[in-house]
Amino acid sequence: MSVIDLSNLPFPGNNLRSFLDSVCEEHELDFAAYAGMDPIAQTIHGFVNYPDEWQTRYVSEGFQHRDPALLLASRSIAPVDWQRLRGESTFQDIFRAASDHGISEQGLTVPVRGPYGDVGLFSVTRNCSDREWGLLKSKILGGLQTAAVHLHDNVIQSHSLNRKLNHPSLSARELEILQWIAAGKSQQDVGDILSISNRTVEVHLRSGRSKLGALTTPQAVGRAIGLGLIHPS
Amino acid sequence: MIIVIDGLNRHRYNRLLDEMFALRARVFGQRLGWDVDIIDGKEIDQFDALDPAYVIGLNDAGNVVSCVRALQTTGPHMLSDVFHDILDGEPPLRSATLWESTRFCVDTEVLDRGNSRNSVGYATCELMAASLEYAKNSGISDIVTVIDPVMNRVLKRSDCAPYGYVGSTKPMGKVSAMAALLDCTDERINKIRAFAGIEGNIFVSAQRAYELSDDHAPTGPAPTAAPVTAEENVRQLLEEYCVDQITDADTVEDADAAKRLTRLLVDAGMVDSKHG
Repeated sequence: MSVIDLSNLPFPGNNLRSFLDSVCEEHELDFAAYAGMDPIAQTIHGFVNYPDEWQTRYVSEGFQHRDPALLLASRSIAPVDWQRLRGESTFQDIFRAASDHGISEQGLTVPVRGPYGDVGLFSVTRNCSDREWGLLKSKILGGLQTAAVHLHDNVIQSHSLNRKLNHPSLSARELEILQWIAAGKSQQDVGDILSISNRTVEVHLRSGRSKLGALTTPQAVGRAIGLGLIHPS
Repeated sequence: MIIVIDGLNRHRYNRLLDEMFALRARVFGQRLGWDVDIIDGKEIDQFDALDPAYVIGLNDAGNVVSCVRALQTTGPHMLSDVFHDILDGEPPLRSATLWESTRFCVDTEVLDRGNSRNSVGYATCELMAASLEYAKNSGISDIVTVIDPVMNRVLKRSDCAPYGYVGSTKPMGKVSAMAALLDCTDERINKIRAFAGIEGNIFVSAQRAYELSDDHAPTGPAPTAAPVTAEENVRQLLEEYCVDQITDADTVEDADAAKRLTRLLVDAGMVDSKHG
């Protein structure tokens, strides 16, 4: 099962929770959680697929105010492996409690920074040895980065003011490439036509998808046509 | 060797960060003549307040010889907010797996010209390899880097030619600047390592990282000067403050007020009378 493209679905709904489930399934993870802070809407969003009893306990004990996985990871640009937090006393407190609910201390938090000071923290866990964790991490980190930004952008844009501010601003190069893709050209063809490397096409496509809130290129093409940014051919 | 300093550990590395900001002042302010703000010999801009990640190269003595700064392209970064000239007015790339690297520099005054571990060439390649490895280990696949044409030539010569560029080359200070694209693949990293003869892990161990931190009291031979106690330190700062107040006074009234304050402190025995 692949990760759900949130932009395909009506919003808001119960989709965020299914998104977390699909990320866990795709990337061999036990649990996932998202916390987002939006300074424009002045809201904090949080949703998780942890067991209900743990969610209740986490909030009732106010762990969100001292969880280093949230407080510290927001200051990193790279995913923060929780192994780096094991020295923090608050980490020990929270994960002693978490282990009662079958949640392992093996995990990481992907920090997302948006353009308006908005911050999203996407955490995942998996009960396994350090060695297994290391191998899994190197395999899934790229996918987790993309999932984290997709999730965060969709949460932030569920607020109408942000949706207005975030009108997708694609560069001429990004639009040109999407237009050729819409015309049925392959990535390699587009590179040849524009005399740029295949990877330059790829990095522009990834950027275009991100700006359009899409996980796949066909979805990005569809949205770009819908917004009148490129023409159907 | 390389150390990564980010928002989580920066409070422990003020010495290294100060050395890095001083290196940036010499390179970007003086050598390249960019329009950067330098205060107290340190070049610091608004992006340094955003908790970027710094990849920093150190020599065997533990001093900063190279550095580069990384930010996510999903949030505020230099190409979106400052370097838009380079992009010909186009919006910047934005992707979860693309980081921006800026302020890449090496200390050409301290390093030599040969091929040793203390050469400009080695330090440059070590920093490039380390920054690509750090990004790759974070799930990042590409880097857009703002560089000058000299650095662009260095990249090409070091078997690390950019696979593409965005925007165009624009004048900036004594030189010009451009935005180049690099992939964080093992292939590229291995080529750089092979070119410079870099082997094994280039990142500092946990033990070395501790030794480099501010809270570590240096071992090695005892310093000849008597250790400065906290009290002596405060005394010295107060004296400096008094001298500054008197010499910087713009008006006679201000100077008199500064002198009165100094006499008060002398009478209280908090500073020596030579400044009164």
